[in-house]
Amino acid sequence: MIALRGVTKSFRDADREVPVLRGVDLEVAPGELVAIVGASGSGKSTLLYVTGALDLDFGGEAAVAGRSLRGLSAPERAELRNRSLGFVFQSFNLLPGLSALENVMLPGILRREGAEPVAALRARAAEALARVGLSAQATARPGRLSGGERQRVAIARALFARPAVLLADEPTGNLDAVSGEAIIRHFAELAREGLSVLVVTHEERVSRAATRVLHLEDGRLR
Amino acid sequence: MKAKGVLWLALANVRADRRGALVNAGAATVGAAALAFFLALGLGVGDAARRMFPADARLVDVVPASVSLSSVLGGGQLDDAAVARLREVPGVDDAWPRLSLRVPVAAPRPPEGLKVNWPPGMTVQIPVVGVAPGLVAPDLGPGARFEDPPPGGAIPVVISRRILEIYNKTIAPAWNVRRLPPGLSLVGIELPVRVGFSIVPQKTEDRVYDARLRLAGLSDRVPVYLAAMPLDTVRRLHREYGKPDAGYTEVTLLARRPDDVPAVAAAVRRMGFSVDEGERAVAERVGTVVAVTTGALAFVAVVMCGLAALAIAQSLSASVRARVREIAILEALGATPTDVRLVVLAEAALLGVAGGVLGAALGRLAAIGADRAAARLLPDFPFRPETFFGWPAWIALLAVAVPALAAVLGALAPAAAAARVDPARAIS
Repeated sequence: MIALRGVTKSFRDADREVPVLRGVDLEVAPGELVAIVGASGSGKSTLLYVTGALDLDFGGEAAVAGRSLRGLSAPERAELRNRSLGFVFQSFNLLPGLSALENVMLPGILRREGAEPVAALRARAAEALARVGLSAQATARPGRLSGGERQRVAIARALFARPAVLLADEPTGNLDAVSGEAIIRHFAELAREGLSVLVVTHEERVSRAATRVLHLEDGRLR
Repeated sequence: MKAKGVLWLALANVRADRRGALVNAGAATVGAAALAFFLALGLGVGDAARRMFPADARLVDVVPASVSLSSVLGGGQLDDAAVARLREVPGVDDAWPRLSLRVPVAAPRPPEGLKVNWPPGMTVQIPVVGVAPGLVAPDLGPGARFEDPPPGGAIPVVISRRILEIYNKTIAPAWNVRRLPPGLSLVGIELPVRVGFSIVPQKTEDRVYDARLRLAGLSDRVPVYLAAMPLDTVRRLHREYGKPDAGYTEVTLLARRPDDVPAVAAAVRRMGFSVDEGERAVAERVGTVVAVTTGALAFVAVVMCGLAALAIAQSLSASVRARVREIAILEALGATPTDVRLVVLAEAALLGVAGGVLGAALGRLAAIGADRAAARLLPDFPFRPETFFGWPAWIALLAVAVPALAAVLGALAPAAAAARVDPARAIS
């Protein structure tokens, strides 16, 4: 479901190019939970954004959910992210002006083809929140939720469109031990259900739950 | 994203920043209210001015040239031949001569059948002009005839529609006499007059006899200070009193279209006649003053809408800068740059439309207040309208459309900035 071949990426710093990814090869099959660990600034997040079709300025080949990321137009990339990818971020990245329920239904609101009526989206979002145990917090704004609750809302949002690939960037970084463990168990469960889950982290506890752990050093996976 | 989705997100953004939305919509409200108020005021005052100076845009009044070579040589006289030639001027549909009555006519008693507190001993001199029946034919009352009556019959007259208003609003209150009923309900009343009698003794003719004037209609084509009789009646009276006609006083031309009037007037002048532009000039001047004033006030209102749009643009720019991360999240979840742009524009449009709707309502309320204040504070004067405002539907539409459009135009730059957000950089 995720196939990267010789992916390179560099940033320009003043007059010089600073390489971050130096030919990354990676495959994540459905049902796999792959953890990428590495030090801060090693390029873990960059790798995730390339995989998530958020950063197109890279070298090499990348295919996600059966589609090569090269040559996709902006609407095609948006469609891919909307239908096939789910994102979970360290800082939750919920929209503060929307309720938990509205945050969860956002992917449905953003859908172009086959968009469901808002009432149907609400009903599905309520179900998604119930699955992560947050029915009672459906109308609450993110500011009124704990860190663990916010991350569960973010996971419900990431899974709302029933994606094939889940990408998580330090998903337990802002959580206490108990909340973090719950999130990790949830990810492992999702992988068992057939999702391709790619988690970048520097936490050991996430690595323990992964089916594979890869280390990103000097821009290469080992 | 579907249009519904764009609207849903725009509404969510507006809800999320209620205070900012209120300030922005408030600015648009003030601009829209001013626009609606001033445009409606211009239309209302324009209507009132047209009632006060009802110049027919197709009429051209021809008078003999006051000083010209042709008048010195005996040309320039408005006789039947001249009327025939004027009728042939390109663009002229018809020509109706007018002839001032040189025999005095005075009313020593009030109209019959009308209760008026006529001051004892008062006699009113009535200036009369003879007109061709075609000139006033459209304004005659039902069944009324406008032709020289048989001996002993009442003479039909048509008076200006405006004289009633002036009488009711100035003369009647000043004399403390009864006001006349409005419009054509007066048609048919008769006024006893003395033909040949003048309130200036030297001008009274040797022969004075009693007659009756019967009101046949009310017309804007009759000068406000004159009563119009059939032309044949005036000629007959001139013959009876030995006053030979040296030509018509005036000829009224009916142009085919208002656009033909300048060419007709130029042709008339080339023929050695003058064009009396008194009433038309006053009407045009008043119309121009009203139009220019309305235009200036509407311009100020549009500028206010523009300032509101700038406020919205500035606020949206700040909002976009503050929401870069949210925009990146939307893109991560499947929004295209176009979607992001549309959401910002829709947000601006919502604020503009909300401000426009509130502004149109506020403008209307302000107009009602102004009318009530005018009714209480202004004295009753001729042609005072019941309302100083005109409210066709397009004013409300414009009051909504202008701030909405201005807000959307103002939001173009912030929307473009939002669409340029790099999601990978903004999220990380």
